Parts: sequence; C-alpha cells; structure tokens
Amino acid sequence: MSKSTLSRSKPYAQLAAYLLFCAVILAVPSFVTDAFLLNKFARYLALGLAAAALALSWGYAGILNLGQGVSFGIGAYAIAMHLKLKTSPVHTGSAGLPDFMVWNNLDHLPWFWQPFHSSLFAVAAGILAPVVVALLLGSFMFRARIAGVYVAIITLAMLAVVNLLFIDQQAYTGGFNGITDLAWLEAGSVTFDPYSPAFYYLSAGALSLCLLLGLAFTRSKAGLILQAIRNDADRVRFFGYDVAAYQSLAFAVSAGMAGLAGMLYAMVLEFASPTFMGVPLSLSMVIWAAVGGRGSLLGAAIGAILVNFMQGSLSESFLDTWQLILGGMFILVVVFLPNGLSSLIGILADRLTRPARQTPDTALAALSEAPRAGRTPS
Amino acid sequence: MDIFFGQLFTGLSIASILLLVALGLAIIYGAMGVINLAHGEFVMLGAYGTWFLQSQFGLPLIPCLLLVFFMVAAAGWVVESTVVRFLYHRPLDTILATWGIGIMLQQAVRLSAGAELRYVQTPEFLSGSIDIAGVGIPSYRLFILALTAALLALTWFVIQRTEFGMKLRAVTQNREMASCYGINSARIYSLTFAFGSGLAGLAGALVAPIKSVAPDMGTNFVVDAFMVVVVGGVGSLIGTVVSSGLLGSGTAGIAFLLNDTLAKALVFLAVVVLVRFRPQGLFVDQRRR
Amino acid sequence: MTFTRRNFLKSTAVAGVAGSVGFPHIWIKDSGAAWAANGEIKVGVLFSLTGTTAVVEKSMHNATMMAIDEINAAGGINGMKLTAIVEDPASDPATFADKSNKLVLNDKCVSVFGSYTSASRKAVLPVFEKRKNLYWYPTLYEGRECSKNVMYTGAVPNQQQKEFIPWLVKTFGKKFYLIGSNYIYPKEENNVCKILLKELGGEVVGEEYVPLGHSEFGSVLNKFRETKPDVIFSTVVGDSVIALHKQYKAAGFSPDKMPMASLTTSEVEIAAMGGEYAAGHFTSAPYFMGHQSKENEVFVENYRKRFGKESVTHFVSEAAYFQMHLFRKAVEKIGKGDITPIAVRDATAGLEIMAPQGKVKVDGDNLHCYLWPKIGQAQADGQFKVIQQSSDWVKPEPYWAYPGQSCTKDGLKGA
Repeated sequence: MSKSTLSRSKPYAQLAAYLLFCAVILAVPSFVTDAFLLNKFARYLALGLAAAALALSWGYAGILNLGQGVSFGIGAYAIAMHLKLKTSPVHTGSAGLPDFMVWNNLDHLPWFWQPFHSSLFAVAAGILAPVVVALLLGSFMFRARIAGVYVAIITLAMLAVVNLLFIDQQAYTGGFNGITDLAWLEAGSVTFDPYSPAFYYLSAGALSLCLLLGLAFTRSKAGLILQAIRNDADRVRFFGYDVAAYQSLAFAVSAGMAGLAGMLYAMVLEFASPTFMGVPLSLSMVIWAAVGGRGSLLGAAIGAILVNFMQGSLSESFLDTWQLILGGMFILVVVFLPNGLSSLIGILADRLTRPARQTPDTALAALSEAPRAGRTPS
Repeated sequence: MDIFFGQLFTGLSIASILLLVALGLAIIYGAMGVINLAHGEFVMLGAYGTWFLQSQFGLPLIPCLLLVFFMVAAAGWVVESTVVRFLYHRPLDTILATWGIGIMLQQAVRLSAGAELRYVQTPEFLSGSIDIAGVGIPSYRLFILALTAALLALTWFVIQRTEFGMKLRAVTQNREMASCYGINSARIYSLTFAFGSGLAGLAGALVAPIKSVAPDMGTNFVVDAFMVVVVGGVGSLIGTVVSSGLLGSGTAGIAFLLNDTLAKALVFLAVVVLVRFRPQGLFVDQRRR
Repeated sequence: MTFTRRNFLKSTAVAGVAGSVGFPHIWIKDSGAAWAANGEIKVGVLFSLTGTTAVVEKSMHNATMMAIDEINAAGGINGMKLTAIVEDPASDPATFADKSNKLVLNDKCVSVFGSYTSASRKAVLPVFEKRKNLYWYPTLYEGRECSKNVMYTGAVPNQQQKEFIPWLVKTFGKKFYLIGSNYIYPKEENNVCKILLKELGGEVVGEEYVPLGHSEFGSVLNKFRETKPDVIFSTVVGDSVIALHKQYKAAGFSPDKMPMASLTTSEVEIAAMGGEYAAGHFTSAPYFMGHQSKENEVFVENYRKRFGKESVTHFVSEAAYFQMHLFRKAVEKIGKGDITPIAVRDATAGLEIMAPQGKVKVDGDNLHCYLWPKIGQAQADGQFKVIQQSSDWVKPEPYWAYPGQSCTKDGLKGA
C-alpha cells in the first residue's frame, strides 16, 4: 500500500524533511521579534502537535479518533489546575482556594486538586492521565474488535460525555467558565511567559521532540505492525499478533501527545476551557490532519499550522468567506487527494524519478476501509 | 400521578424530536452506509427556510413545511451528486467530506442570512395547551408528536410499498446485482439522499418555533441523531423508533432526578457501552444476513 | 536570574544589544504617547455577535457603536477621533480572553468595552490586570469582585435584590424555586438570594442550573409542577430565556400564581420571544425603556432611528451607552500625552453623568456605579410597567451580602 511504500522507500529523505522542519520552527524567533506574533506561532505549533498525534492513531493505525479533545482537554486542565493554584493565594487569601471554588461554596481544596501544587506532578498528569484513559477506552473497544466507523462513534460519544461532565462539575472544574487567571509555568530559573521567546522554544521543542520520537515509533517494529493492522487486521491476527494490544498502544501514544499539546495550548492561551473538549475543535483537528496528510505526522502538523496560520492572518470581515473556502478546499482534498497535501510531494517525486511510468493511483486506492462490525458493505 | 404523566409526556416529546431528526439520517445511513455529518446542517437549512418564508412572505408554518421539504431535498440532491457520490467505497471519508459540506452550508447561511439568532413564531392555534389528566400539555408538542408519527408511517410506506422503495431495498442488499437487473442505482441513491435530507429539513422547520435558529444549531442535532441511529441498528426503522424512545425518555427521566447536563452525559455513556457490546444496534435488519 | 520579559529587557539593554535578539518590541512603547497616536484613540469593542448570548450582546454592541459615533460626530475627544476595533468572541469565554489579548497587546486599545456574561468577564479579567489595561463592563452582575482594572457600570445585588426579594416574599409568598444558567453568575446571585431568604424566613424548594443555550425545559417545568413554588427566581440568560418563557406558557402555567422573577430578562429578550410570553413576569433593573426623562427620549429616538422602529433599548444596552460617554468625559480631563488606561480609570473615579436612567456616579473607591433600582412588570406590548422605584440613587456595594468585607481603593478589605 502506498503509505508503507512511501515510508520505506525514502527513509533518509523523510528524516531530512523532519529535521528541516524542526530547524525551521526553532529558528523562527531569530526572525520574528513581535511578542504577539510569537505567541500566535506557539499556539499554531501546539495545534500542530495535536494534529500530528491524531495522524499517529488515524494514519498509521487506522483508528479514526473523533474525540481527540478528550486527551487534549485533560492535558489542558491538568496544567491549568497547577497554574491556577499558583495564583490562588493572591486573590482569595491564605486559604488558597481557587476563586470558582469559593463561588461554589467549597470550603477546602478537593483531594484530587492537592497534588497539583507540584508542577512536576501536573506535567506528568497532563501526559499520563490521557494515556491511562486511552488505554482503558482502547482496550475496552479493541478487545471487542470494534473498528472503523464504530470507533469514530464511540470516541465522539466519549468526547460529549467528558465535555458535559466538566461543564456540570462546576465546583471542581470551573464549569462553563473554565479555569481562568493562570500563572506562568516556572521550571528552574526560567519563567514561561506565553509572550516570550522562552515559551515559543518550549512549544517548538515539544513539537520537534514528538515528531522525531513519533517518526521513530512508526519506523519501529510496532509501527510496521500497526500499519499492517490498518491494512488488514484479520491477517495480522492470524499471524498471532495481539491486535488489540497494538491498537491500544497507538491510541495511548497518540493520547499522550495530544495531552502535551493540550498543556501547551492552555498555557499559551492562559486558559482552560470546556470548548477544548467541544465537538467542533476535535473535528477541526481531523480536518487539519486530513488536509496536511493523515499518513504523515509531519504532514498533519504542517496542515494544522498552515490552516491556522491562514485563518489567523485574515481580517475578521473576511473570516466567514474564508471558512467557506476552507470547507470547499477540505472537500476537494478528501475526494481527490485522500492522503493530503503531503502526498503531492510523493507523487511529484515519483513523476520526477520515473517520468515514463504510470500515474501513481496507489494513493487513491488506499483507505477503502469497511466497518468491521455490523454490516458488510454492499 | 400528574408528575409521572407530565414526565412521561416530556420524555415522549423529546423522543419525538429525536426521531424526527434521526429519521432522515437513519434512511441515508441504513440504505447507503453514508455517515452524513452535514445532516445537522440540513436541519438548520430547514429552520432557516421556515424563518425566511415566514419573515419575507408571511407564510404560516404549515405551508412552509411542504416547501421546505422540497427545498432541502433539492439541496441534498446537489450534495449527493457533487460530493457524496464519489465516496461510496470510502465510508470513513464520507464522515470528513460531509463535515466539510456542513461547514460550507453553515458559512453560506452566515454570509447570506446573518449570524444573529432568529426566531420563528408558533402558529396561533397551536400556541396554547391542552389539559390532559390535570397536566397542561403544550399543543405544539402534541402537533410535533402527531406529525412525527405521520412521517414515520409515510417513510415506512415509501420504503415498503412503492416501486422506489422496492428498488431502494434491492440496491441496499446488493448494489451490483440490482444494477444487473436494470435498476439505476445511482439514481436511487440520489433520490434516497434527497429524501433523507428533505426529512431533515422538515425536522428543522418543525423545531424552529421551539429553538432559536442559528447557523451552528446543527452540530448538536447531528451528534444526538447519530447516537439514535447507531443504537437502533443500521437499516431498521423500528430500531430507530425504539432507540429514540429510549434515549428520549432516558434523558427526560434522569433530567428530572438529577439535571439536564448529567442526563445527557449518562445517556451518551450508556450509548458507548451499548455500541461496545452490540455494535450492530438493538435491531438488526434480518433480511440482509 | 529569571527569564521574564522585563528582566530580559534590562539585561539585554545593559549589554547594549537590545533589538538584535528576539526581543518583543511592543514593550518599548509602554508610555503614554502610544495610547493616543496619530490623533486617534483606539478602543476595543468586544461583544458576542454570534452564539447563545448574541441576542443581548448585539444590542449592547449597537448602543456602544452609537455612542462612539455620537462622540466622533461632535468632534471627538479633545480633537482626537475614537477608533473602534470590533471583535466577535462568539459567546465563548476562552475566545473572549484571546480577543482581549489581541485588543490590548496587538491593537493597543486604551480601553475595551465589552461582554455580557460573568464567565466572559472572569475570562478577560486576568488579561486586563496583567497588562494594566482597563475593561468597561456594562452588565449587571453578581458582585463579590474588586478589580482595579474594570469599570463596572451595571447593577450589583444590593441594587437589584435588596428591594426585590422582600417585595416578592411579601406579595407572593415564601417558597422560591431558583433556576439559572450553569455558570458563575447565577450561582453567586443565588447565594445572595438564599442569604436574603434566610433572613426573611423564606424557603428554597428547588435549585437547578441548565447549560447555556439550553432549550428543553420539560423536566424543569415538571419540577415546578411538583414543588409548587410561589416565585420562580430566574437567572437564566441568553436565548434560553426565550425557550423558558415560551415553554412556561405552553405548559399552562400562569404568572398570577407563580410568576418568574428575573434579574436579567429585559426588553430585548421579550422582543425576541413576543410580548405575550413575558406578560405578567417581573424584573428588577435600574432602567426600563419606558422611563420618563429627556435624556431617555433622545436615547430611544436616536437608537430607533439608527437600528429600526422595532428595536428596543434595555438596562444593559443603556449602560453600554452611557459608559462610553463616561469614558469621553474622563479622557477630556486628561492631557493628550498622558492618556493611559490607568489615567483614564483615575479620571473616571468619582465622575457623574446624566444617563437615560437619571444621574449616575462612579464610586471613587470600588469603581461601580450609583444607580436607580426599579421593579417592573412585563406587559403584553413588550414594555415594563414600573411597580416600585427607589427615591434616590443607590450606592453600589459589591460585597453587600458578605458583612465585614468591602471593596476599597486599595482592593478588597476584610477577606
């Protein structure tokens, strides 16, 4: 299939592309000095990471997760809880209760908030909590051989559940208000003001690291098995592999990355909001990944950055028209270029190296997945 | 007692709206295997169509219904023949493409009709309430209930008793075979998609007086409708009816005991568990086995 | 050494390489001159034009823009034009925070006028405190806040509930059902209501919160039926207000026996739902559209000339309107080069102005406004009939329900 050939045929070219991208994003602060702009770029990078995480589970393992917001949101809230506790004593006295708890008549800090006084714990929780949730949900689904459309539906429903619970439990989560008034993260002697180059480097560093680790993961044996599962789960099962375990693993790794993205996003916005777990944002992430290329972590990340960058640089008045164009562009990509813009490069490269050969219809042939359970396609 | 009765009616009322919205989706998904995430936007189009006809031409609600059905059905036909048609062999990609269509429809409405909330008036003779067993039952809710039942009967009739329905069932069971027998399956699919979209538009027109009409109103509908269809079982009308009844009364009951937010969360959680253990849904269309 | 922006500035400046590294230039302009450059004063206008509270915020946006145009038509402020930078935060608190960062940091607005829900105010508050800017908030709210970077021109509980709750208990009875939207404003407003009811010997028979944008009140209405309250105390906001009133009437309830008493329902929601659904219910507010005064006549006439014969004014849009004129009066007092958000705040403290509701004054200590509370009953024509009104303006006391605490010039005391 196209993607496996792509990733095996030009391993060095691929690595070079990843390294080049990392070098470019890390070099940005040398050219951009406007703090507001840097903050915006840091935000796009965080969203790029979320899209790359999605590509890992969707493009490589065939798990279309419409509830990416669950992991993203948990990450965001984990770090927000820590940063909120750092500002609390300033505003509500020595007891140090976050303001929304005071309005909701709580008189002491709930036990599960206690450990978030530690920044190390918060950062760990922001990554590991989504991983644990994904492992639980993943084995719950994959042990029953749920696949295809039904994974999409379950993850979408879970997203709705988590979102509603966060809105309802106002005394513990800030409800609809979200968690506002966050302090800046400190690590050692560095303060990560979201409008500083320091924060941008944090964001760019996290994305670079995740992309390279992700690339290594997809090239590992587990990564190859996952791609095989994506193409034909039953055949892999007959070889004796524990398909559910591999799928859960991919789902969990993706969740951890999304959690990290959520943390960065909450810090860059200085806010954690239940809209991070709304249906529109999660589906937008799918769009970004699809536009950039679901079959490539780098492609998905670039897709997210590109779409958001274009959206952010347009004037407010043109935004509605832009969204119309974006919708149309997205449909065109899905219909005619299922592997996203990044597959264009592969197609062009093929054309250049083998000009006489047939057109690469391999990309189009991919991904005719059928829902495994329930009905068989007619 | 009157509380129980009132609560029963609330459940029925929520269920009827769920069914109304899910009916079109159930047909499209059941017959074509297309997950149409633009379904909510067709509901929205129906609501805007009603608002437009009412505010521009002063049409009363009832004649609006018929016009809106055909308007939205036409929109559905266009969407099918320009986009969905190319994706029948890629079910997951239909999710994405139809979401894109949803975005476009939302923006098109936002650009043409404005982003502000719109309100549709309830017809005068349906704005009161009828006293049943000591409980004031809103007449308009009864009207929706009755119309939903009528639409259900109509849909059943179309699928089971008309030539179009027969062809549709044939195409659903085996598209290639049906084509060999001379059935124009592409045309059947277009008409089915248009019919399902028209039903969504009708649902939009009917809920418009009780909800505020906004370009993004469809998102909530589509998620709810999906859960109904999946729980009911693909391709089963009875299943869709039963599952909307279960989800509706479940939501109303839990909302009465706890609150509306938790009710929705718990119902969705139940859906997750159900899909895990019975992905084919409560009712399976036996003829297809 | 900590790597904060300001320290970074110092260290690089000392090293003589400022500007050569990734240094955020906007911080260089942190002096007065930047806030009123090129003969224009930039102000942010931040009301949701879409989403669940757009029904109210659109009218607040309109009133704000009308006041800006009035000021510019009269020659601006000391010869400088006001330039409005409009953003649509779409009824989402996170977007509010995001957009206000843009207005403050990128557009360098000297003040931002905006928002309806408390959730959105709480969301933008840290931005204005951190960036030392000024936010003008025209909405009634729940009090218990004492920011030095917000001008509060709407009512606080002692200007709405203090007269209202005793009157309701006396007129209808002691059993209250509290229904609100699920966020901070209704929760805290109900905290105050419960404190008052306790003093009056009242009883809360139910307390319920629905999500914002909620439109299915069947189960809630059944709870009314079961608990049989004398008064439904509603702090539901946005388009849910419309659904609630419509479904209340359709369920066969009557405001004669079980009225809804609201702190938020105004002429604008009633216009959207239709007068017959609101008729008979009560609202406590410092301004109603039918108020008799010369200023109000002009205000309503101009508003309708601009936004259509059917358009309505209400107590939140009125505050959105007069606060812009407060801003004008304050800036007029400041020299051209000295305009900063903090200077504007200091000039506004203690200022008086003739608003459509009567003469209002900004409290010099807590930056809230002296207002004229009234109790109104909605009529079928969409207007309110004033049942009772205060004889004098009422001093704002944001910590009124919490004895021993007060908001002073130096912040909260006695917490």
